[in-house]
Amino acid sequence: MSETPVVETRDVRRDYHMGEEIVHAVRGVSLEIARGDSVAIVGPSGCGKSTLLNLVGGIDRPTAGMVIVDGDRVDAMRDATATRFRLLRIGFVFQRFYLMPALSAAENVELPMAEAGMSGRKRAARARELLAYVGLAERRSHRPAQLSGGEQQRVAIARALANAPRILLADEPTGELDAKTGAEMIELLARVNRDGTTLVVVTHDEALARAARRVVHMRDGLVVDDHRQVGV
Amino acid sequence: MIVALLAAVALLQQIDSSPPHRPPRTIAVDERLAVDAGVRLGDQLIVSRAPGGDGDTVVVSAFVRRRADPSEVARAEYRVRMHLGELQSLIDYGDRVDRFALSSVTPATTDSAIRRINGTAFGFQAYRSRDIAVETSRTFLVVSRFHRAIGVITIVASAIFLLCIMLLKVDERRRDVAALRLMGISAGSITGSVMVEAAVVAVVGSGVGLALGWVSTLIINWHYRGVYRTPLAFALVTPDIALLAVTLSLVLGLLAGFAAARRLVGMPPLELLTGRHDDRRPLGVERAR
Amino acid sequence: MLFRLAWATLARHRSRTLLAILGVAVSAAMLLDMVMLSSGMRESFRHLLLVRGFQLRLSPKGTLPFDTDATIADASGVIRILGGIPEIDAVSPVLGGQLHVARGATTVTAAAIGGDAAVQGDYEITEGREPVAPNELVASDDFIRAAGVRVGDTLSAAAGYDAQFRTFSGARRLALVGRAHFLYTANEQRVVALPLATLQAMQGRASHDRVSFFMVRAREGASVDSVLGRIERAVPRVSVISTEVALRQVDERLSYFRQLAFILGSVSLGVGFLLVTTLVTVSVNERLGEIVVMRAIGVARGRVVLQIVLEGTAIMLVGALAGLGLGMLTARYLNSILASFPGLPAAIDFFLFQPRDAWAALGMLVIAGILAGIYPSWRGASMPIAVTLREEAVG
Repeated sequence: MSETPVVETRDVRRDYHMGEEIVHAVRGVSLEIARGDSVAIVGPSGCGKSTLLNLVGGIDRPTAGMVIVDGDRVDAMRDATATRFRLLRIGFVFQRFYLMPALSAAENVELPMAEAGMSGRKRAARARELLAYVGLAERRSHRPAQLSGGEQQRVAIARALANAPRILLADEPTGELDAKTGAEMIELLARVNRDGTTLVVVTHDEALARAARRVVHMRDGLVVDDHRQVGV
Repeated sequence: MIVALLAAVALLQQIDSSPPHRPPRTIAVDERLAVDAGVRLGDQLIVSRAPGGDGDTVVVSAFVRRRADPSEVARAEYRVRMHLGELQSLIDYGDRVDRFALSSVTPATTDSAIRRINGTAFGFQAYRSRDIAVETSRTFLVVSRFHRAIGVITIVASAIFLLCIMLLKVDERRRDVAALRLMGISAGSITGSVMVEAAVVAVVGSGVGLALGWVSTLIINWHYRGVYRTPLAFALVTPDIALLAVTLSLVLGLLAGFAAARRLVGMPPLELLTGRHDDRRPLGVERAR
Repeated sequence: MLFRLAWATLARHRSRTLLAILGVAVSAAMLLDMVMLSSGMRESFRHLLLVRGFQLRLSPKGTLPFDTDATIADASGVIRILGGIPEIDAVSPVLGGQLHVARGATTVTAAAIGGDAAVQGDYEITEGREPVAPNELVASDDFIRAAGVRVGDTLSAAAGYDAQFRTFSGARRLALVGRAHFLYTANEQRVVALPLATLQAMQGRASHDRVSFFMVRAREGASVDSVLGRIERAVPRVSVISTEVALRQVDERLSYFRQLAFILGSVSLGVGFLLVTTLVTVSVNERLGEIVVMRAIGVARGRVVLQIVLEGTAIMLVGALAGLGLGMLTARYLNSILASFPGLPAAIDFFLFQPRDAWAALGMLVIAGILAGIYPSWRGASMPIAVTLREEAVG
């Protein structure tokens, strides 16, 4: 693993206004994630782990502090720049998959490549390759409604890898899967990480947390523990 | 004929100078003519049979407003009213008229009067005024038919629009509907609830539409009365029309709500929730090998 | 890919999409009809006025042709004066009246047009020939049918009829030498045409050397306005009416239809707009999660908006094309109703199809479709990503 962190947060904070109350979702988190590492962020519901992930991914802006991803300050980017940044450098996987129900599996995977300007033929070839990578080569023409939860999440992972991002951010990727399927997902994510993509996962799933090399515990918007796991 | 001739008498000269040789006769002038030609009460004019020809000096003693006659709406002619004998003399018509207007003693005697006149008077034909009005209102009848056709097309468009809106509204709440079905609420109850909603939308919409329509008739009548200078009412919202509009709207709304609701409750609740077709076979049925 | 996604989204909700297209089609049909109505009458009337090439009409001062019973005296003098204007190619005198033809116990009455067969501009011969001899006439289909005669028959006709005494005046025997299609007469109107001098003689002393109006044709290349000015100066006792003035008169009398066309056209466009905007709004609300995920994975806001706007525009476009066909059918039906408008020539089309009308209607609908989709799609694409994802997850 390289020494230059691929993700760095410096005293980053995020507050929300809920009516008259202010919720301090993230209260000054400073974190560094090395290139090629796999990190699980765990903690009870409402501890700010998903919020932190969103800040790292540039889909939310911090109230204070800095977020630097792959050498660029994500918190200071304009919306259009942040969007482009996410397209080319970051892959997202969500708990509820969020595939386009009207498109086939292959078309879902092609969507980010089309946005990046890749030609039709290249897109189709890469989509085939990625779906084979996640074990769904024969399901490429199926729509999400025709796929199981695990299969949908695999398609979501393939989509996240479409533009060969440096970092894969996953928010509760096994949250809607049964134990067996969840285990398959953990193995797939581990493989993605072994092949060179930095992995940051937010999870309640102990098995998924155990599979990561580093575990960051959060509570009440703060990091309370941060350790590397032995033997991973 | 008389009216046509008068319409051809377009040049009315105003006299300001020497007094006439005998007391001038009086005429009543169309108020449109008064406005357009700047004629005032008491003005002296010359009426003649042909433009620039010799004629009679007359004094304007009254202005006349046109009746609300649809057949006259689009005609731009002017009219004057004169004493019969004076007009007959002016245009060399002799002791002739174009028609007589009769008023019977009672409405019940009109038919017998018509029969007696047609049987007795040589070369005459008597008609009820109502029948003449129908004949001369052909313009209005054509326009009415046209409006009715537009109305039918509008109703068809509204029905489709209503159905589309109801479908969208109901589709938006498919998860709510699924949850209700899963809880045990019957399809009939859900359909009824949607139909009530559709009925309320239809009735409230009709009310707003009626108000809008009534305001529109005020504007339309004000505008076209000004354009055509007539007291005719061009648009009216009558109780019958209001009732028809509300009833039709309600019926269409209910039908649209029913169709939309039945479509949704016809789908299995899980499919509504997940969007997936459930093609699993029931237990105990094996696939044919 | 955006087109693919827009198409796939529309295809996913087939019945909703089809209904919306149908709704737009009816709106589009109505819009096309109203666009046709607003310009059709005018263009149809212009075409009718110029069909025989006569650009000017001369009528008694202050009147329009056949608007009154007034006539122009010393018609031959007027023709002489007009003959001295070099820019004038032809002068067609026209006298209007009635002809009463006795058929046994009944009388068939027709509108009579007296003119010069060599330069007439009122009819086209469909059978037989022009009435060149003094005692000849041609007639419309409706007259021939009503009188029960054929081309070649001789008729007893009179110009005057006293209904009270049932006597005819100005009677003659006239040979029916042709069947004609009359250009300016109303539907089912019985019309005959005969030589001007014959009708003048039949009408008696009151019509001696008088006409109802003249039609004038300018030479090719001559300025119609210049000819108009010369005639006005040379013959001040007539009103000279150009095609434009006549059209203005028609516009004024039929302004109701143009205004109705504008109002109904606007309403149709508004209804179509409302339908599409409602559909797009509901569609956006339904898949807010998908939309923000597209933003999350890096699809630019503008392209998300474009994809959604494409859906609305596609509905409008397909609906508009379907509506064009439907509009032609409804226009024919509506035209058939208005064709029985009393006093108007049967040849007038209220709904005249001109390709520019179709383009105009299509263009308006497409623009409306685009505008209808812009606000809801922009709103959807601008939702804060993290907050919306959380709300969608909870919901």
